[in-house]
Amino acid sequence: MGRVIVNKILIANRGEIAVRISRACREMGIAPVAVYSECDRTALHVRYADEAYAIGPSAPRESYLRIDRLIDAARRSGADAVHPGYGFLAENAEFAAACRDAGLTFIGPTPEAIRLMGSKTAARTAAQRAGVPVVPGTEDPLAADATDATIAREAERIGYPLLVKAVAGGGGKGMRTVLDPADLLGAVRAARSEAGSAFGDAAVYIERRLTRPRHIEVQLLGDQHGTVIPFVERECSIQRRHQKVVEETPSLAVSPTLRAAMTSAAAAVARTVNYTNAGTIEFLLDEDGSFYFLEMNTRLQVEHPVTEMVTGLDLVRWQIAIARGERLTIDPAAALTPIGHAIECRIYAEDPDNNFLPSPGRILQLRAPAGPGIRDDSGATAGLDVPIFYDPMISKLIAWAEDRPRAASRMRRALGEYLVAGIKTTVPFFTWLFEQPEFIEGRFHTTYLDEVLKTRNGRPFVEPAAEVEDVATIAAALHAVLAPQTASAAAAPANGAWKSAARVEGLR
Amino acid sequence: MQYDVDVDGRTRQVVVHREGDRFHVTIDGRPFDVSAARIDGQILSLLVGTHSFEVSIAPDAASGELMVRVGSTPVRVGLNGRRRFGQHGEHADAGSGPQQVTAPMPGKIVRVLVTKGDAVAARQPLVVVEAMKMENELRAGREGTIAEMYAQEGQSVEAGALLVVIQ
Repeated sequence: MGRVIVNKILIANRGEIAVRISRACREMGIAPVAVYSECDRTALHVRYADEAYAIGPSAPRESYLRIDRLIDAARRSGADAVHPGYGFLAENAEFAAACRDAGLTFIGPTPEAIRLMGSKTAARTAAQRAGVPVVPGTEDPLAADATDATIAREAERIGYPLLVKAVAGGGGKGMRTVLDPADLLGAVRAARSEAGSAFGDAAVYIERRLTRPRHIEVQLLGDQHGTVIPFVERECSIQRRHQKVVEETPSLAVSPTLRAAMTSAAAAVARTVNYTNAGTIEFLLDEDGSFYFLEMNTRLQVEHPVTEMVTGLDLVRWQIAIARGERLTIDPAAALTPIGHAIECRIYAEDPDNNFLPSPGRILQLRAPAGPGIRDDSGATAGLDVPIFYDPMISKLIAWAEDRPRAASRMRRALGEYLVAGIKTTVPFFTWLFEQPEFIEGRFHTTYLDEVLKTRNGRPFVEPAAEVEDVATIAAALHAVLAPQTASAAAAPANGAWKSAARVEGLR
Repeated sequence: MQYDVDVDGRTRQVVVHREGDRFHVTIDGRPFDVSAARIDGQILSLLVGTHSFEVSIAPDAASGELMVRVGSTPVRVGLNGRRRFGQHGEHADAGSGPQQVTAPMPGKIVRVLVTKGDAVAARQPLVVVEAMKMENELRAGREGTIAEMYAQEGQSVEAGALLVVIQ
């Protein structure tokens, strides 16, 4: 296979992942091209790129999900390749096919692989063909016209508790847990309606729910020459409402023997479908040590940085290299041998003390943590509004250290450094989580967090000590005394801080 | 200068005297010697005695309070009685009087789970608002009876829109 030329990449995404991909482009001497919706004109991914193209109104359906406008922007920019990031059209086979038809290199798997693995039921069949066990469930989606009695019979056969899941699903959308048969039909209706609006496909299927599984996943890369390389596992069991909030690698629950078994199972599934580029096989690890194929994500994952931190590899760079037709020259043993430990926290613009309600608005001030072992992948800056139209994740904070306890200490230190004003973030929640004995000792499973959150009854995650309340009191009064214009000359730093403050003010 | 500062539901009388580049501050008569430097519009560096604190201060549009962060610890502060109660879902006033549940962000009402006259328990979900790709449940701050239900399914609402009144 001849080498494909990639000199300019259109990034069909926004936010932190668009910035992340642009960074890899720059390092490779490739020109990054951004796209933006109306509310994203001033977003960091636009400011960071070489070129930027408007693709429509803020609602995703009218911009980031518009295949025609993305292809048009790619044509106009002269890009030779397209990177979809994650979310939006990243797992949309039509988009991958439209890129191919337009002569653009799609940096991801083939449309055929996306279509096959994007159907959760078809993916389960593929896993079984590769000899990998799946959680018991319906072979096919529930027929749209299936009678209530048929659905109830299927559910009875699979057994309770069970999950109703969107065939096209992801991120917990279009998914419902059913503990009591009386709730089944309502759950099917709710899942269908949510799946229909989120994915444009209302089909759902039923799967047994393991009681206390851990979520373990295997990142892999496949080149166009038949090489598939699996990576050391990631654990993503800390989830809130089926959304991952903390990811780490390696997993405390995975022994070297289990790692060998899970990573070779993952590679087998990928080979069965001739998978190319980056993908992730998700497994559920049961309490008895048996594991089951859950689904395959045919794209770069949000949590890819933790794998990069413990292997020293740049997964986005490899995605681009694979799309160019290059061979994977990664040492397979090195990909499976983590150096140290990495943990990621997904920092959201949500108010953890108010049931995690989104907290959109203007970021007045932002200073990310830095220093040894810290990586902050973010698309947010001061002066930007967190839009209401998209996922409110503002940053991925990643800590690396020699071992897990040190990585956790480093994360605690970094969380303490995170300075965000103007919006609420989930930082206080993580501060609390990293003090929980279950988290510290690794005694958790996919419903641990929801269970423990239920018992908190809205108590604040970080309760200020009396001394802190005094300091806040003093600060509020002095904030009024030292109004920005009247601050004393002695208090004004001699460097350019005033200028930058004025710049921030000017953006309002 | 004198201020009333509300923290954690308690009002403190704060008196500030400027002495050169330091401040003599009393909270309900307790004295503090403070050096304060404004870093920018939101950030103050305080040396209380010799203890160093970096504090960020920004208004919280939803509650009308100041959102103060001491290091990474958030503290809600009301200055000169600007603190308001009962506007804020689960942080609603747990005391007496009607409780108003407002939309914390712009979005679309996807489900209305209770109707006027219903008895509701504390933390019972009332309305589901879709925003930022997620469905968010707005819950009762305390038990009571639904006195007014303004939310309608399918309706788009602005931040701060009054949705439910609980008596």
